[in-house]
Amino acid sequence: MTEPGLLLALPVGIPWVLAAVLPLLDGRKRWVGLLAAAGLGASLLSLVWLASIVIRRGEVEVTAGGWPEGVGITLRADALGVTFALVSVAVILAAFLYEVALGVRWRAFPALILLVAAGLTGLFFTGDAFNFYVFFEISMISSFILAGYREKDYQVRAAFVFAVVNLLGSFVFLIGIAALYTISGSLDMETIAARVAGLNPSSVIAISALIFAAFFLKLGLFPFHFWLPAVYVGSHPPIAAILSGALANIGAYGLLRFGADVLPRELALAAPAVIVIGAASIAYGSLQAVSRRDTSEVMAYSAIGQAGYVLLALGVGGPVGYAAAVVYAVVNSLNKGVVFLSAGLRGPLVGAAFAVGAFSIAGVPPAAGYLGKFMVFEASTAVESVTATVALVFLVFVGSALSFLYSFQVYQRRFVAPGPSGKPSPTAARYLVVLLAALVVLVGLWPQPLMLLSRAAAAALTGSPG
Amino acid sequence: MTLYAALVIAVVLASGTFLLLQRDLFRVVIGIILVSNSATLFIVASGLSRGAAPIYPLPDSGVSDPLVQAMALTALIIGFAVAALLFAMVYQLYASHHTMDLEEIAEAEAREAEDLDLRGDPGTEEVPEEEQDPEERTVP
Repeated sequence: MTEPGLLLALPVGIPWVLAAVLPLLDGRKRWVGLLAAAGLGASLLSLVWLASIVIRRGEVEVTAGGWPEGVGITLRADALGVTFALVSVAVILAAFLYEVALGVRWRAFPALILLVAAGLTGLFFTGDAFNFYVFFEISMISSFILAGYREKDYQVRAAFVFAVVNLLGSFVFLIGIAALYTISGSLDMETIAARVAGLNPSSVIAISALIFAAFFLKLGLFPFHFWLPAVYVGSHPPIAAILSGALANIGAYGLLRFGADVLPRELALAAPAVIVIGAASIAYGSLQAVSRRDTSEVMAYSAIGQAGYVLLALGVGGPVGYAAAVVYAVVNSLNKGVVFLSAGLRGPLVGAAFAVGAFSIAGVPPAAGYLGKFMVFEASTAVESVTATVALVFLVFVGSALSFLYSFQVYQRRFVAPGPSGKPSPTAARYLVVLLAALVVLVGLWPQPLMLLSRAAAAALTGSPG
Repeated sequence: MTLYAALVIAVVLASGTFLLLQRDLFRVVIGIILVSNSATLFIVASGLSRGAAPIYPLPDSGVSDPLVQAMALTALIIGFAVAALLFAMVYQLYASHHTMDLEEIAEAEAREAEDLDLRGDPGTEEVPEEEQDPEERTVP
């Protein structure tokens, strides 16, 4: 195995091996938690290294088990996968450190968090459609268990609903994968893309609909959103941060990978439907968020609206649209991480961190959110028809205004109005959210690395065969 | 053969979906198991070639597609793991509410939340959840 090949295995392998060892230890002990955090940190560092190699030399590819290419399962890291893996592992690490600072309550908690991280990085790097499903289930099953963390009744029930709805989505996706195998005779994504491009689109569009619907469900877009508020509101804050900051990335990444990379012609055919669903999500999520009182409920509905922007950018397509979708998804993960984590804390500095997250969602510079909003604006002006451009720009503008409104409302209710004041949360957890908020501002002030990665990702998507 | 397989998959998937829409949690889990098995059947049916087992292929005899068998096995294992997890969750809900009916559990939870509201206990961590609209939780 060559050196970049080994590097590709590290971000997946480190958390995976640790996750297998850690259930033997008591995860409630502080040193076990710190060991798991060190593993996640090592995974993050290797991802940064991998990202620098991918930017300089293009995609890194390795075939597992020394099989010839096309026979064995390939792991392939391009700019798109690396970007999503970086942000997901960063949010998971922050949420996990937060829980360690507050005190872990379950023996198996660190191992489950590591499995989520291993599943996610594996999913972002695999080049094999069925392998994608397996990694997807590894991270989803761990997150079903995590959604019931603390074992309050409403949490277990929320976890049950979450599990049932998402499993239905997973099996729909699995049927889609099997159907893709039937028509293309391969499971390798590049081979599928090349062979499907030569087929009559009418035979592929039904399969594409199955696969896209599964990812819409994961993202919690408007007609598929019904499970999302109950789960996000019921979960413990770091779990909510992981669900909306890391796991929701599966939906965005899956749509970009399967939509823009493997089935670009079908995505272009479905573009009007995709844009309509995205617009409906923005309208529904923003309006519901404005009408809610509770912080985590507002943020849960806001997550539906924010996913709509990603979809809008995806529907517009082309290099501009794909780059906007990547930037928006990344920035949104960071925002949601900051907001959900700081909503669970009390004491000085927490309000400031929450404000950064909330204003980033509203798109106020210098927080990173304005970058995403700006790129979605740019993408909507790239549409050819004038009426569509006007409608999209109007929608994005109204959505941003509404998100500004609910961010302010939530901030006022949570931190300005005198409420029941308890004892302040542990200092370590508070510094952690401040650090994450600082990262959001840093991305806004120095957007070049993110822009570079997103442009490279969009170039890799549009340059692929088909 | 393809038509026959399609019919079987359609029946299994439809009965699974029907059970998913029930209020009884046990039936919901059985529904998920049926849906997962319909996906497995779909994988088996999507094999590209039929013939003898590919363990020692002879040049003049066709072999069956080994890839779908491997995929079906993996999908089956994932289906079992998921079923076990769901049954554990159902058991935990049953142990605390002594009912398997989703709506009865939701009502019991709404009552508990109201009791907490009446007591007006500001110091606990549960403040956000108590403010939650009870309708939200009844959506399965």
